[in-house]
Amino acid sequence: MIYQQLINGLMLGASYSLVAIGYTLIFGVLNLLYFAHGEVFMVGAFVGLFLVVHLGLGIYGALLGAMVACAALGVISVFVAIRPVPKDRPLAPLISTIGLTIVLQNAAVYFIGGQQLAFPETIKQTLYHVGPVTVSSTQLFILGVAVTLMVLLWLFIEHSKTGRGIRAVAENHETAALLGVDVNRIVLITFVIGSGIAGIAGVLDGLKNSSVSPFMGLGAAVKGLIVMLLGGLGNVPGAMVAGLMLGMIEILSSAYIGTTERDLFSFLILILILLFRPTALFGTRTAEQR
Amino acid sequence: MFAGLIDNYTQQIIIFTGINVIAAFSFFAPFKTGQVSLGQAGFMAIGAYASAVFTQKFGFPFAVSLPCAALLAGVVGVVVGFPALRIKGIYLLLLTLGFGEIVSVIALSWDYVGGAQGYRNIPFNPRTLGYVLGVVVVLIIFFGRLERSSLGRAMDSIHQDETAAEVMGIDVVRIKLMAFGLGAAIAGLAGALYAHQATYIDSTTFNIMMGVEILTFVVVGGGSTYWGPVAGALMLSLLPEFLRTLRDWLELVPVSMTDFFPLNRVYDFLHEFLDFENAKRLIVYGLILMLMMIVRPDGLLTRDALRRFSWRRTPRHA
Repeated sequence: MIYQQLINGLMLGASYSLVAIGYTLIFGVLNLLYFAHGEVFMVGAFVGLFLVVHLGLGIYGALLGAMVACAALGVISVFVAIRPVPKDRPLAPLISTIGLTIVLQNAAVYFIGGQQLAFPETIKQTLYHVGPVTVSSTQLFILGVAVTLMVLLWLFIEHSKTGRGIRAVAENHETAALLGVDVNRIVLITFVIGSGIAGIAGVLDGLKNSSVSPFMGLGAAVKGLIVMLLGGLGNVPGAMVAGLMLGMIEILSSAYIGTTERDLFSFLILILILLFRPTALFGTRTAEQR
Repeated sequence: MFAGLIDNYTQQIIIFTGINVIAAFSFFAPFKTGQVSLGQAGFMAIGAYASAVFTQKFGFPFAVSLPCAALLAGVVGVVVGFPALRIKGIYLLLLTLGFGEIVSVIALSWDYVGGAQGYRNIPFNPRTLGYVLGVVVVLIIFFGRLERSSLGRAMDSIHQDETAAEVMGIDVVRIKLMAFGLGAAIAGLAGALYAHQATYIDSTTFNIMMGVEILTFVVVGGGSTYWGPVAGALMLSLLPEFLRTLRDWLELVPVSMTDFFPLNRVYDFLHEFLDFENAKRLIVYGLILMLMMIVRPDGLLTRDALRRFSWRRTPRHA
């Protein structure tokens, strides 16, 4: 029983991690709570659904298409909601991305309608029994894609030149610029990566729940924020581990305590972290308190 | 008092706009000391549920339950304000967001206040309009006096530089706590007024998006002067109503003036385009938020803008 719950928690946590990675990357380079990230996730799910249902693509096509579409959306959001807004006022970019959130969510409602849509089964369902644990092929696929993405991203950030640029900008804008890092380009790349991953996460979420809805973004956004905080603001590996942890905590608390208390737990964790350990479990890359 | 003069629909709009103005002031009070809260909807929920319980289960009259609800929300605000003293910026934003969600989870799982079914049959208060307008006027006068008082200046100085303010001998802890509690109490008022107008509330009524909306009222209106929250709340609450009436205005144009080739196409296009149902209206709302932050990132009204319109040649206090 407990092993089964842990596996379920891992599945849930994998999608939290993917959303939180985008948050934490963007927070790292811009010091901004990018409110529209949950809606990018939602758009990814709908693009995936469209590709599967109307173009008859397989799941890999859907994942790729959602990634590309969301990366493009990330670029657009930089040009409409980040760059034109003055940077010396901390609340202005927050409000403009809130505006973007409202636009994206209601555009989805306007074009698709306010109801849930079913996400077709694109992977052949088989159940694997390993000892006391039962895992479905869909769950394995989701976990596999998520882990692969996270490993690739980690390698990219730690070992590529652009990744080094992202880390430098996250540490200090001015110093990075002085050392010859093109900050604007790095911000754009960060949005492309974060949004692309959110798009994939959206499709995986649709696959997991067998449904997508225009309102799925807000919940994902809030969970992503908690995970970002738990892992340390701007800390990418931290977000990966923290996502898996939150998933397990939620599954375990809803299995052994109660379903309504599940959300209470995640928010209590949020508040405890804020009060007693603002540098989070794994520390933040930027140590100064904001 | 006003019931005979205006129709029900207009009355509803004035009431909810007024409640939004009060909610905007509830954000403005802690914001004046630099504390940004996404949890004002949570305090509204406390005020709303408290007033519902006081009137329906304890039999208090509304005139008593309203201040009691505000007081309770204010006390919770001070309690939340203590931990909020230690953190700022994005951490405070997340803390208050988490607080708002915890309130709604408690409302969802506590059966005494209706649980998942929501709180039904809250006594309707026929005099809400008078109360709302009264509270708005009192708040405008209060914040107007505050802006020119030494306490208000102390709050502004904490907003600008906490350390400097402390060095100047300002009791930063006391003032920040007081501001947070005051904001929570004002939010409690707004929530209580809401509850007795809507007569039904549940755990999703005062959700994250409402907290976000309250923040946008103040930032869009302008956070540097007390007219900012009023302007922002008025503009953003009345915008949907304005969009609704655009098409009515178009229909006032006589048919004979548009019934020939190029104009009839334009007319038909506009008629189609101005059909703002809910989603389309919210899209326009979001676009306006984005546009506002590009054009006026300090908000609609700033102190400089107000000074230009002021009848006083020189400000009383420079």
